[in-house]
Amino acid sequence: MSFQAKLMISALLVGNAILVVELLRKRKLTESYTLLWLAVISCTAMATWADRLLARLTRFFGAAAPVSALTLLSLVFVLIMLIYFSMKISRLTRELKELAQQVALRTPPSGGRDRGGGSGG
Amino acid sequence: MPEGRGVIVIPAYNEEENIGAVVVELLEESLGLDILIVDDGSKDGTPDRLRGLPVHVLSHPMNLGYGVAVQTGFKYAVLRGYDFLVLMDADGQHVPSQVRLLLEELDRERDIVIGSRLAGDAGGYRIPFLRRAGIRFFSFLAKVLGGVSIRDVTSGFQAMRREVFLLLAEEYPTDFPDAEVVIMLGLKRFRLAEVPTLVRERKRGKSMYSSLGTVLYYPFKSILASFIVLLRLFREREGR
Repeated sequence: MSFQAKLMISALLVGNAILVVELLRKRKLTESYTLLWLAVISCTAMATWADRLLARLTRFFGAAAPVSALTLLSLVFVLIMLIYFSMKISRLTRELKELAQQVALRTPPSGGRDRGGGSGG
Repeated sequence: MPEGRGVIVIPAYNEEENIGAVVVELLEESLGLDILIVDDGSKDGTPDRLRGLPVHVLSHPMNLGYGVAVQTGFKYAVLRGYDFLVLMDADGQHVPSQVRLLLEELDRERDIVIGSRLAGDAGGYRIPFLRRAGIRFFSFLAKVLGGVSIRDVTSGFQAMRREVFLLLAEEYPTDFPDAEVVIMLGLKRFRLAEVPTLVRERKRGKSMYSSLGTVLYYPFKSILASFIVLLRLFREREGR
């Protein structure tokens, strides 16, 4: 990988790191996800600058070039994250449903027909 | 004893083996404080153990974590107009007779008092070496970042005035609320103190710090959170 490519990737990674820390500061991201992103950024930085490691990964994946290997790793990571977040959204949807039902069941019923009397007249 | 009305907040998750004994021991102390149990979506008989006891119980519909349960307790205390609050664990490690020590110190113009396992020699259960080293590291971080000299920043045995839990009811970490809370309170110029308190070994059930995932995650999370507290306050003061 050319030095220029490494610099470009590093600049993107630094920008990404600043973004996630700023999102955490503004409470738009929790510590656990921030740590996850920082770990991914660190691993990507390592893979970018450790030429021998990147060469091994490139051979392992059968990629044409180191950049292709990095792209493939990124795609795998994105896929794993999508599955993880799908599971998390499913769990949160289920919990929200339970919560809404509990609130509804605890709220005194309003309106509707009078149980004891007739319906008109 | 500080003036006004006080409440003891005990967050509990799957503590059916311990919670009954903790509450009975507290009642025997005749502290004159209300007791609130925040049941964090327990799947065992924790709520059943509390039936018939003179305590208030709030139940989360699902498990949300220790920090959320504690914050629910703070919000309850704010809504009910309590003047001071004691926070303690449901696993029996915190000794009810030591609550008076916290309150006596709180009465000496303190805003928050921490029951410390490392300040002085109160005896009792000795924390394992690795855990002790971790606590010392975070106490050092609290000193450097927040200017507070508290030796046991991870203790969940605390007494605090309304001004403190009013703030914490608004912002409180959802998981492992330790060093960063102490740092934040120190930076906001609250008067912190710690007193040596006895701690017993947990005899039944599992600690929330016992899983491998927690052991790996907790130190990184606490370090990151501690620096973010500093960053937030710095940006607040800059008026952004």
